[in-house]
Amino acid sequence: MKLSRRSFLTGSSAGALALFAGPRLGAARGLLTEPRLDELVKRALEAATKAGASYADVRVVRIRSENISTREDRVERVASNEDYGVGVRVIAGGAWGFAATPSVTAADAERAARDAVAIAKANAPLMKRPVTLAPVPANVDVWQTPLIKDPFKIPLEDKAEILLAINREAMKVPGVKFVTSQFAAAAEWKLLASTDGAYIEQEVVRLGPGYAVTAVDDKRGEFETREFQLPPRQAGWEYVEGSSMLADARRIGEEAVEKLKAPSVAPGKKDLILDPSNLWLTIHESIGHTTELDRALGYEANYAGTSFATPDQRGKLQIGAPFLTFYADKTTPGGLATCGYDDDGVATQKWNLIENGVLVSYQTTREQAGWIGEKASRGTCYADSYGSFPFQRMPNVSLAPGPRERSIDELIAATDDGIVIAGRGSWSIDHQRLNFQFGGQAFWEVKRGKKTRMLRDVAYQANTIEFWHACDAIGGPKSWFMGGTLTDGKGEPGQINSVSHGCPPARFRQINILNTNRRTA
Amino acid sequence: MLPQADTRRLVDRILTLVHATKGAAGMVAVRSTREGNTRFAVNEITSTGDVERLSISLTVQFGQRSASATTNQVDDRSIDDLVGRALRMARLAPENPEQMPLLGRQAYLTPKDPADPATAKLTPDARAKAVGAALAAADAAKVAIAGFVEHGSQSVMLATSEGLSASHTWTSCGMSCTARTPDGTGSGWAGLGGHRIASIDAAALANTAVTKATSSARPHKLDPGRYTVILEPAAVASLLSFLIGAFNARRADEGRSFFARKRPGDALFPADITLRSDPTDVPLGASPFDSEGFPLAPTKWIDKGTLTGLPYSRFWARKQGKPPTGQPTGWTLDGGTASQAELIKGVARGVLITRFWYLRPLDPQTLLTTGLTRDGVYLIENGRISHPVTNFRFNESPVQMLARCDGLGLPEIPSGGEGSGVRVPALRTHEFNLASISEAV
Repeated sequence: MKLSRRSFLTGSSAGALALFAGPRLGAARGLLTEPRLDELVKRALEAATKAGASYADVRVVRIRSENISTREDRVERVASNEDYGVGVRVIAGGAWGFAATPSVTAADAERAARDAVAIAKANAPLMKRPVTLAPVPANVDVWQTPLIKDPFKIPLEDKAEILLAINREAMKVPGVKFVTSQFAAAAEWKLLASTDGAYIEQEVVRLGPGYAVTAVDDKRGEFETREFQLPPRQAGWEYVEGSSMLADARRIGEEAVEKLKAPSVAPGKKDLILDPSNLWLTIHESIGHTTELDRALGYEANYAGTSFATPDQRGKLQIGAPFLTFYADKTTPGGLATCGYDDDGVATQKWNLIENGVLVSYQTTREQAGWIGEKASRGTCYADSYGSFPFQRMPNVSLAPGPRERSIDELIAATDDGIVIAGRGSWSIDHQRLNFQFGGQAFWEVKRGKKTRMLRDVAYQANTIEFWHACDAIGGPKSWFMGGTLTDGKGEPGQINSVSHGCPPARFRQINILNTNRRTA
Repeated sequence: MLPQADTRRLVDRILTLVHATKGAAGMVAVRSTREGNTRFAVNEITSTGDVERLSISLTVQFGQRSASATTNQVDDRSIDDLVGRALRMARLAPENPEQMPLLGRQAYLTPKDPADPATAKLTPDARAKAVGAALAAADAAKVAIAGFVEHGSQSVMLATSEGLSASHTWTSCGMSCTARTPDGTGSGWAGLGGHRIASIDAAALANTAVTKATSSARPHKLDPGRYTVILEPAAVASLLSFLIGAFNARRADEGRSFFARKRPGDALFPADITLRSDPTDVPLGASPFDSEGFPLAPTKWIDKGTLTGLPYSRFWARKQGKPPTGQPTGWTLDGGTASQAELIKGVARGVLITRFWYLRPLDPQTLLTTGLTRDGVYLIENGRISHPVTNFRFNESPVQMLARCDGLGLPEIPSGGEGSGVRVPALRTHEFNLASISEAV
């Protein structure tokens, strides 16, 4: 939700320092409460410029988080965390420099600015091309997650009770022996100011509850776990209250028990119907990471790897069936990566990455836009704390639904011999995003258009391009569902990113199904 | 970093505030770090930073009720807020019958020189110099290189209202790099960690990565299947981490672990497999105490192939009538004396693997794990490296990796991959399931 701040603050033109003054925006929830930060930001940017920076930005970041975890009839952990600090990023001599401190004072921010410039100058002799940034308007604004009930103001007992109620429901199922449940909430407040005129305050609130039910067969010495995740979202407590996570607990417990008794899957090629609760992660791994420009150009080679989808194939590489369109969108309501502006101060947007099955675009930052001849950043720069260097992170990447309504039940009814998979299981993909292998939480056999029984020990393994070409049917607009993760990892030192992926259910023809049972080995 | 005396004053002030509340007991943990890093790719520096971090955590107990709060601000208002939050939440938290009382005074082992001054005060210029050596090696060979140099100084101080007082300060460092040939068909990696920056030779690591990149270019296709494999230390470390993660007595007793139905004295592995933890292992950054302040002792969990026991938390130990162990740190898989050439010698047909990537569990009962090879895979024929081959996805368990092991090299501490923070040797094992080809390079 953007709340215009232009009438309250006087922005400057690009390249000059903004004038940080003006009355507070009282209507904004929890924002603009620390006037002394205006002075801190101004002095840090001035110190960087004086020390020789050609560009500088300052992030003051406060992250509050709350975690509750339970097992069976008891609360195991209740924790409330706050992390606050200031980071200064600069360009000097054509190189980046960065320094950060938890001491949020003007003097220490100035020190960090000077340290960042000194680091940049130490690195400058090893630069072959100076860092250049794509132009951006001097955005001055406020943005915050729309919500009704602030999760941090909901009594602790209420949160614990819903988790314990879930545990009680699941434990009523004969055969269920263990249940764990957890609730996580985080509020990320960030003030970003730059020498290019950005002055942006944002607060993002994210929630992520879930539980896991374990059934044990003592006689056979075997166990199975069925996990359930209420998709993490940007939302208030009303999202949890309005969900069916408690009502579903008995069914999830029953599925854990049925899974333990289920026959082990027969490996081989089968038609695969993926519920969106499973497919979102396959999109994350095979499409989301594939279209990160830094990865495609070798900037992540030492850790997360590169990408098969190199920029020379843009407009030519057919990654999947011609009816598939994948789009990036940092404006999707409730999406975990949604915000008003990225950490370069660029307004967020929606754009296609894969159109009619063909690679057409990438995720970029201000530094990266010019690498592929684009004039403006797509706005995907992010740092996960005050102490983290901002770099390219995944926006919400989603698969558009088909034009006509079609449910997962219709996909099942049209399938003769297949497997349905729901929920996020084990996931692994190679360092160029080609060979992947995914599991799930619940697996059902499909025979002659009907779900017949549960299966266990199922994984599907494929090559990304072959997999998306094998897709022959997707659900319609009403079947579209958004999953996501709070902890996507990238970079060195490692940073996390929260990102959502929406998709309809989809069917894939003749996919390699593996049996992961080694219990008798 | 927060000076030791300031940390002590902070801890005392927090515990005094807790003491002032009737019925409350408290544990404070202050963690302070200063880290520096430089990242490089496409043969130049790409990002860098010097970062200070602080964490002040307070756990409050009212009988069986408990809650924790954390801040990183040291001003009086923030500390008052921290204590207020922890007290308020602890009063509201439901009772936990498993909660153990806070520990009182303990005696700890003393690691020898865990903090290396040169590593603590390494400058950005020194990091740039190390990167420069790596870039020079890559430029000379006309390959692309990417990598990461990091170092840090960390301290932790724990104290409870029951009299526990523990502190530990140490340094850590690491460097890793990946070289890639211009035609995109070869990739090589090297990485080492430790606590002394002087132990890391940037040029030597870069040269290893460059040599692997050029020697792995234009790989031949090799059919998936079960192979004798020589796993270099980085590969061993990443797969072994799933076995280390399963060392938990409670999960075993509850019947949901690989160790369920296993007993001390069970011979699980060949006699040259010994897996141990050592809280005084300085290069691994091990700590003499765990997060509750429980004193840790050097322990062989697998001794000459035989399971000796599993770690017990304080609660589970009391329930089961066993001695508690705390949460072990500083894991080492003991090595042998074989060089890589000696491990390869005698292998009629096998595969040499540099490291693994994206490992994920498939079955917690058998510890079956999937993942991929990367950055240098070679066919071994008649005791010699024959030629590079494509990457593979594997589906294999660390249990089987050790059970079929018949050769161990010299141990080292890999850095920068998925199995950092342990000391492991290269090893030779058999019937390793390379399940499908990965076309990735």
